[in-house]
Order: sequence, then C-alpha cells, then structure tokens
Amino acid sequence: MHSIWAVATNTIKQALRMKVAAVFLILLLVLLPVMGFSATGDGTLKGRLQTFVSYGLSLTSILLCLLTIIISIYSVTNDIEQRQIYTVITKPIRRFQFLLGKLLGVVLLDAILLSLFAAIIYTITIYTPQFFNTTETERIQANNEFFTARAALAVPAVDVSQEVKDRYEQLKRNRELPENISYDEIIAELTTQQQLAKRAADVGQVLVWEFDNVEPLAQSLFIKFKYDVAVNPPDMQVYGRWFAGDYQYIRYGTESKTPVYDRIHKHSVRNFHEIEIPADVVPEHGHLAVAFQNAPLNNTVIIFPPDGIEVLYKADTFTGNFVRAVLLILSRLIFLACLGILASTFLSFPVAILLCLFLFSTASVSGFVIESFGYLSENIGIIYSYTIKWIIQLLPQFDKFNPTKFLVPARLLSWSLLARCAGVMVCIKAFLLLVIALVIFSYREIAKIIV
Amino acid sequence: MEYAVETFSLTKIFSDWWGRAKVYAVDDLNLQVRYNEVFGLLGPNGSGKTTTLKMLLGLLYPTKGRALVLGGDGADSKINSRIGFLPEESYLYRYLNARETLDFYGRLFGLPAKVRKMRIEALLDMVGLKAVANRPVGTFSKGMARRIGLAQALINDPDLLILDEPTTGLDPIGTRQIKDLVLKLVERGKTVLLCSHLLADVEDVCDRIAILYGGKIQSQGHVRDLLQQTNKRQITTDAISDTAIEKIKQLIEDEDADCVVTSPMDKLETFFIKTVAAAQQQAQTTSGAVSTTKIGDFLTRQTAAEDILDILVSAPVSKESLPESPTTEKVVPVESPTPEPDEQLLSKLTGSAEPSQPEPVVRDESRPSDGLDEKVTTQLVESEAPQAEQEQVNKSILDQLTGRSRPQGGDEEQTDKSQAGDVGDA
Repeated sequence: MHSIWAVATNTIKQALRMKVAAVFLILLLVLLPVMGFSATGDGTLKGRLQTFVSYGLSLTSILLCLLTIIISIYSVTNDIEQRQIYTVITKPIRRFQFLLGKLLGVVLLDAILLSLFAAIIYTITIYTPQFFNTTETERIQANNEFFTARAALAVPAVDVSQEVKDRYEQLKRNRELPENISYDEIIAELTTQQQLAKRAADVGQVLVWEFDNVEPLAQSLFIKFKYDVAVNPPDMQVYGRWFAGDYQYIRYGTESKTPVYDRIHKHSVRNFHEIEIPADVVPEHGHLAVAFQNAPLNNTVIIFPPDGIEVLYKADTFTGNFVRAVLLILSRLIFLACLGILASTFLSFPVAILLCLFLFSTASVSGFVIESFGYLSENIGIIYSYTIKWIIQLLPQFDKFNPTKFLVPARLLSWSLLARCAGVMVCIKAFLLLVIALVIFSYREIAKIIV
Repeated sequence: MEYAVETFSLTKIFSDWWGRAKVYAVDDLNLQVRYNEVFGLLGPNGSGKTTTLKMLLGLLYPTKGRALVLGGDGADSKINSRIGFLPEESYLYRYLNARETLDFYGRLFGLPAKVRKMRIEALLDMVGLKAVANRPVGTFSKGMARRIGLAQALINDPDLLILDEPTTGLDPIGTRQIKDLVLKLVERGKTVLLCSHLLADVEDVCDRIAILYGGKIQSQGHVRDLLQQTNKRQITTDAISDTAIEKIKQLIEDEDADCVVTSPMDKLETFFIKTVAAAQQQAQTTSGAVSTTKIGDFLTRQTAAEDILDILVSAPVSKESLPESPTTEKVVPVESPTPEPDEQLLSKLTGSAEPSQPEPVVRDESRPSDGLDEKVTTQLVESEAPQAEQEQVNKSILDQLTGRSRPQGGDEEQTDKSQAGDVGDA
C-alpha cells in the first residue's frame, strides 16, 4: 500500500509541477467567474442560472476529461519513455501496484479539482440572485423551476396493439390495404396513428392521465405540457381547462376527500408551460389524475406531443441534485483515467492520446453513433451485430447521462439512477479496462521501447 | 546459494516486427557472481552488458535461459528490496528536488519516515548534494544527476548493488568516490556487479571481470590472474633517488635480467583492446559499434580543461561532499567553510597538469583503507552528527581529495602516504 501511495502522490506532483494541470486550473478559474456574469440566457433570472450551470458544468466536465486523459497517459508513457520506470519498477513494487498508484493519483487529482470547481460553480449559482436586480416573480420562478430537484411523472405510451390489430383486420376486410407496403410498416403507421389519436382532444373533449405514487415534498405540484394544434389559432393561443385530483372523482365522479383543482388557462401553442397546483389535491393513496378539456372557446383540435405532458413535484433539494451531478462527472473521469492507463500500457504517448480522444468524442455523442449504426445495421446485419455493436456497447454513454440534462430543467437525478449509471461505467466498464491494463502491463517488457 | 548472481545460458534475441531474429544481444551467457565480490562486466558499446542487467532485473525477458539474482527472480519484489540499481543514465523525475527524489524511492521500500529522513540526509551528504537538495533534479548537470542516481540505489542499503556505467559524467572526485564506496560496501559483505567500459575504474575495484563482445563472454577471471605477466617481476617503490635506482639496476644485471624503470601503466586497457581486437579478427558478430582505440584529436584535446570547469562549477557542491574518505575523524577543526577551498582546489587541479614527481605505487596499497570503511558505515547508520562538525570535516576531506585528484588529472599516481603528508601540511 505504501508503494501505491508513493506513486500516487508522485503522480499528483508530476501533474501539478509539469504545469499540465495548471493550464486547465487557470483556464477554469478565469472562465467560471466570467461566465457567471456574462451568461444571461433569456434574460430572466432562471435563464441566467440555467445558462451558467449548463455552460459551467459542461466546461468543467470537458476540461477535466481532457486533463484526465492527458495526465493518465502522460504519467505512464513518460515514465516508460524517459525510463524513470527502470529505477521505480526495480524497487520492491509490483507492476500492478505501480499502475494502481498512477490511477489513484489521477483520480485523487480529479476529485480535488472537481470539488474545487464544483464549489465555485455552486457558490456563484447560489449567490447569483443577490447580485442582480431581480423581480419577486423571477425569484419565485427560479425557486420553483431551478433551485429544486423535481421528480417527473411521465405518461407511459398507451398500449394500442389491440386497436391496431382491429384496424388492420378492418382494412384487410375492406381491401383497403396499400399494395406496396410491408406488413411491419403498415403496423408501425397504424400504431402511430392510434397513439396520436389517444393524445388528441377535439373541441370539448376531455383527456385524462393517471399517476401513481405521487409524494410531493413541497407545497406545489407542476403540470408541464406543450400544445400542438391542428389549425393555428389567430393569436397562437388556446384555452384549456385543467383538473387535478383524486382519480376516482375525475374518472367516476365519486365523492372526493381532497380538494380538486379546476381552472381555465390561456397558453401559447408549441411552447412548454407549467401550471402550479397546490399539493393538497394529491389524495392520501397517491393516485392522482390530471385531466384536460379542450375548451369550447377553441376552434381546433389540440394534440399533446409524446413528451408533451408531465407532472413534476419537488423530490429533493438543488444541493443534493448538484452533488449527484458532480459525482456523475467524477465517475466519467474515473472511466477515462482507466481508459488512459490502459492505452498507455501498450501505446506511445501520441497514439494513446489520439485513441482516447477518439473514444471520448465517440462516447460524447454515443446516442447519435448508436442510432446511426442501428439504422445502418438493417443493411449490414450479422457483421454489425457481432462486432461493432459490442464495441459501441462497451463505450460509456456520456451524452445520455449528461449532468446538465438534469440540473437545467431541475430534474431529480436520483441516487438509484446515479448508482446504476456510475456502477455500469466504473464498476463494470472501467474495471474491465483496468484489468486488461494490469494484465498487459504485468507481462510486457518494460525496457522495450514502443514507437 | 553459492552465487549472488547466476545465469544459465541466458540469451536475448531482439526480433523485428515479423518475429525474425534480428540481433543476438546476449548469447548463451553463463555468468557467476559470487557473494561479497566486485564483479565487472566489460565490453565495448552494444556488447550486451546493459541488456544482461535488464534481464537480471526483469526489465527484459530472456529469450532463452534464466537468471537467478540473490537466489531468486530479479523481478520479485522481495528480491528487489535487497537490490540497489543504478541504470546507465540517471533517469529521474525532473520535477522533484533531490530530497524528494530520495524520499520517493525510500517510500517505495516502505522505510519508516524516521529512517528515511536519516538515510536521505546521510546520502545527500555523501554524494555532496546537500547544498542543492531543494533544487529540482531537472536542473542538475549530468554528474549531479548521476550522484542522485547513486544515492537512490543505496537508499535501501542493498545486499547487491548493480551499477551500470556508474562513473559516466562524473568528475574525477566523484569517480574516486564511487570506487571507494564500492570497496567499502564489499568490505561490509555486500556484492557489487558493475558494468563499465571505463577500464581504469574497473581495474581499481573489481575482483573478477568478464569481457563481453557480441553478447558472449570472451574472457573471464580474476583481474590479477588475467593481467599478471608471470615471466616478469615488478618492483614498486616510493620515489627514490637516481643513485638508488642505479644500485638496483646493478643488482638486477648481476642476475642476468633486463630492467626498465618507469611508472606503472594501465595494463587492463591493453588487455581489453586486445580481447576486442581478437574478437573482431575472428569476425564475430556484434550488434554494437565496431570500435577502434583511436579518438579524433578534437575530442580529446579539450577534456582536461573541461574537467576543471566541471569541478569548478560543482565546487560549492563537492566542498561539502566526500565524507567517506579516510581519516576524516581526526582532522583539525577549521571554522566555517569559505570560498577559499575552491581556490585551493582550482590551483591544485590546474597545477596537476604540470608534471610532478612520479611515484610508483603498489596496486593493492592504493586502495583506501580501514578508516574509510568505518566512516561510511557510521554515516548510513547514524547521521545525527552535528552539522558544524561535519562541515569542518568536509573541508579537510576536500583538501585530501584534491590532493588525491591530482594523479587522475595528470596521469600520475601517488601513495596514500604522500597524500597524508599533503594533508598535514595543509
């Protein structure tokens, strides 16, 4: 253990004194406060906060990712290329201890720098409302929609398979099936149609959604929604009558013990809006129903897009969410450190850097990559599914678990989600990389120069 | 376990990308280094010396054969904790300062903080870098880096010291120091395996040598056996008068023998070149340079001046150094060290270029004696001697050493006796 620790502290000294880390450190120390003042967003306090947290965390994350890749590779390949390793590895230290020491050093440095920058971002964020002239409404909005961690209850896609089947049979009977389209495509098209129908409200029609296990921490619930319309109204605004309360009352009209929310709102179309609802409408059993009526004043069918309605409620504080978001970044850094160490066990510095940067950028847009390969795979088939698919699956999905995706809309990043994500990334993928690195490093000839 | 280092048909073949054998760096090498001896591995550049050492330490894996180090695998950390290794160049972390460097290596051995601190100070003192202990080693000259390299090899007080070209880049004083150190370690029961092509160094300290060429042992044995000319006799005396010489000549002529009066020469050098030349004549393959003994004038001319410069530059350093030389304990205290010693050093060094009285020497006697041994051991064990005293001691050591350095600067040798006389005068 003492030798691992010796190598780890030496690695930290190396990173700091060789000024690799210093460049990143100064860059961030200058940029973060500047951003705090220059990020304005859409002009409101909430927009300002969202922009700052989003850019600040993203910048910190990406710079620390680069730093991790560079340091982890530099500190191992440099020792091999400059041959300091000759004097180190001939001391009573096992080779795996040497690599673990390097890893520990890089991760410790990451942890220190990350907590420093996270603290700066957090402080600036918390004090931003006091620095700028803000109205009371802006503050309330920021408190409700930014300084919180809200759990979202999304509406599951309705199962329409039976209706699709019926519709298909009906078309078949009437010989109205299109000739040159395959069965799968017809079914897909019908499913889309049926689901759209479930989300559309004709004038006067009522749509009802039900949510289970609603346990709000605070005074209010929020319904977040977006209207799509068939025909644009003159002023691009529509009326909607919203209900929220015990599902039995809304569904069946039975007596309700809890109050029921019932109000008409006017909102612009094709934008997200939120309605605040007092939390006491939630019944004790937590089974809440929300209903929308397309007000008769309107002249158009109103459609909710697939992600067009959610119920949000405060489930945790902003601070808790922020800490978890930072931990998410840390797990990303640990993965990259392992990747860098693996690459440096068998590649020279420039090649290892290139490889890691390539993998890093691929992981950052993994959603896109997976999607496009998925699309291609229809043509490549077997070759794809047995080769590239596995390699892509091994990459972490940085974009899917982007911390700003949670902080900006004040979404709850739950411990379980964090544990799942970090567990897969660190405990499985990074560990796998580390094991491979240890095996390669244990069996390679240290004195053999790699070019 | 009879041998400290033993190899069994150790072979290393470097292959190209296709796996075809390219270079036989070490070829069927059977080496035996006994406990408590100084073994010299000699050879021209690229003859496989360093490759052999790397295989011993597990930095390279042998293609064939195997090596035992201290009765085990040289890559085993238990064995490693008893080995000190100085690679062919001092590969150090440039951003650490001298003290941190040694601390880092000490921590790799898991030495407790107290022992570490004590040993670091003692070693810094020994290699004469105490004054610059807080400077990053990246700013060190080659010789200074070498000294730190040596210090890190000694931090665990190793049973087996493996030195690869220990004296490259070192000034004559440093070279002498390493030699003294080696001898002293052996007196303490340690084993030293050193690799060099600086023959004068090897000749002074090695008990046995092996000469490598093309990865094979060309010659092996005790230095004395290899070099002794049994059909001749050499008498080595202190400087004596011409009349005395005439008398001796007369005596020898009475015996019907020839007699030449000279100062002794480096004989190993001739032997070495002969061995290599013979190997070259047999057209044996080597992956190294096919060297000749000739060196361009422009390369040799400046060296003397440069050595002096080197010493001058590091003078404030060497001033405090070299505590392991003999008789340190009995010197007259001098007040604080002043720039004065530097001037003395300079004048002595420059003066050394002038021919002084040649004095024959018997080889064995030229080895530093007991007092020296005592001093270094005590240093490694208890370094808590008061600083002031140490410095006073050091100054006089310097004088001694400069006295001693004369022969190295000027191709002459002096007996310890005459040195002692010098010191007394100073």
